[in-house]
Amino acid sequence: MRAEQMRMEDETIRLERVSTVYEGERIPAIREVDISVHGGDFVCIVGPNGSGKTTLLETINGILRYTSGHGSVFGMEITSNGSAIRKRIGYVIQNFEIDPLSPFLCKNVVMSGRTGKIGLLRFPEADDWDAVRESMIRVGMERWWSRPIGKLSGGEFQKILIARALAQEPDVYLLDEPYANLDIRSRHEISELLTEIHVAGPTLLMVSHDVSSIPSSCTHIIVMDRGSIVGSGSATEVIESGVIDKALGMRRPNL
Amino acid sequence: MISIPMALLITATLGSVFAGLTCSIAGVFVVRLNMASIGFCMSHAAFAGAAFGVLIEIDPLLTAMLFSSIAAVLLSPVASRAKLSTDVVIGIIFSLMIALAFIFLNLSPGEAASGSALRILWGSIFAVSEFDVLYLAILSVAIISFVILFYKEILSLLFNRKLAEAAGINTYVFMLVIVFMTGLAVSFSLKLVGGLLVYALIINPTSTAYQYFWDFRKIMIFSPLIGVASCIAGFTFSLETDFPIGASIVIVSAALLTVSIVISPKRRTAKGRA
Ligand SMILES: Nc1ncnc2c1ncn2[C@@H]1O[C@H](COP(=O)(O)OP(=O)(O)OP(=O)(O)O)[C@@H](O)[C@H]1O
Ligand SMILES: [Mg+2]
Repeated sequence: MRAEQMRMEDETIRLERVSTVYEGERIPAIREVDISVHGGDFVCIVGPNGSGKTTLLETINGILRYTSGHGSVFGMEITSNGSAIRKRIGYVIQNFEIDPLSPFLCKNVVMSGRTGKIGLLRFPEADDWDAVRESMIRVGMERWWSRPIGKLSGGEFQKILIARALAQEPDVYLLDEPYANLDIRSRHEISELLTEIHVAGPTLLMVSHDVSSIPSSCTHIIVMDRGSIVGSGSATEVIESGVIDKALGMRRPNL
Repeated sequence: MISIPMALLITATLGSVFAGLTCSIAGVFVVRLNMASIGFCMSHAAFAGAAFGVLIEIDPLLTAMLFSSIAAVLLSPVASRAKLSTDVVIGIIFSLMIALAFIFLNLSPGEAASGSALRILWGSIFAVSEFDVLYLAILSVAIISFVILFYKEILSLLFNRKLAEAAGINTYVFMLVIVFMTGLAVSFSLKLVGGLLVYALIINPTSTAYQYFWDFRKIMIFSPLIGVASCIAGFTFSLETDFPIGASIVIVSAALLTVSIVISPKRRTAKGRA
């Protein structure tokens, strides 16, 4: 009983029968989703294209309003506490296209992650810039401090987006395909970085359609297909159950 | 060169400075937020509104504000459904607004009215009162304060609206303020620059600054400087040539933009461009 209560309190994300329908659509992009994520979990969300992974992340941080069910993050209802919740969530967005003439420098983009956290009518101070520098060092991008964002390669840009989330020093990370555009070495580095973050305490939710890229430190896996959760549990359970192979349409070679 | 009373000269100069400043800062937002279509509609709605003011004989400033606000509400990105393509905007709204403006101007009776009608069309220093300059000055202070006080939020929003929202910024309110300020800048500058040309003053200076700078802070500083310089140069040019002031300002700013695109240091080093 007491133990149960403790668990409830340290539940970071809770969705109960949550569905999200995009404006103008009839079919929900995620349907009756139940999720319970505890502080410090490292959750990987896998599923084929269009299965609702991005929609799930954006429902959690409230950028998309869920249309039915109940959702809370940090014990606060999502829709009515959106910006308070979002200040504590770092988001690495998927498939971001950048205009090559975009007039922003890397340091400013990384700093922009802290905007909400710093708060209105306050200016970034020395500690904020330290956090920015530290984040850029952690993704190995410190030499591009004043580099125009439009001049980066796809992978470098992805690292800047990850640094942007790091600089926010959030309690929860939502990472949508963080390995997009990264080569094997960089994947490995970012995977280690995610493990470091996990060890330090924050909660991570990472989306991937590639099972082989799931970091070994991942504690839970959620498998999505056509907007529903078709499997979830501890990483080893889910991998052994074969539900991922089914959702992703992978066949064992018949020899 | 026509001789102009000193007081009028001062009013017109100050008017040019503030119009250049407000419109070109609004332009930074309009360009970065892909609100070009909305800015375009608001400018021409303001023009139709000003023409309506001439018709019903009240200060065109008021009706310009009213019309551009209506356009803003109808088209606002805040309403998020306004994913209008430029073709649609130009095809329907632009032609509709110009048609309305011409009908209003055509209906306006009397000699005096046709004089003020022409001024609304391409702007005139004689149309600008001390009050207009005062409004523009107040708006300039408001816009500059907005940019300074909310610089980090603005940068974040202009980099990417979704990421700004995800970082906990209330982007809805910021968009609303930006759309509203753009409407005011357009309406207040209309008498000086003219309804057909005010949009150029929004787009040209910031597009010029874009050709040179990678750093958003420099865009934010140089766009208004270029806007003010275009207005002053245009004003001087119009005194020399006796061209309408609005046309002169637009010629100067378009020339600056063209030269800048040609010599752009940025384009030459940008990825994936020749
Ligand atoms: N803005 C939108 N409006 C309407 N439908 C949308 C929108 N965005 C996504 N959808 C639909 O919602 C469903 C889920 O999309 P979502 O982007 O969440 O998938 P995903 O799992 O992230 O896919 P991917 O692996 O390709 O990124 C899809 O069927 C998609 O077509
Ligand atoms: Mg996705």
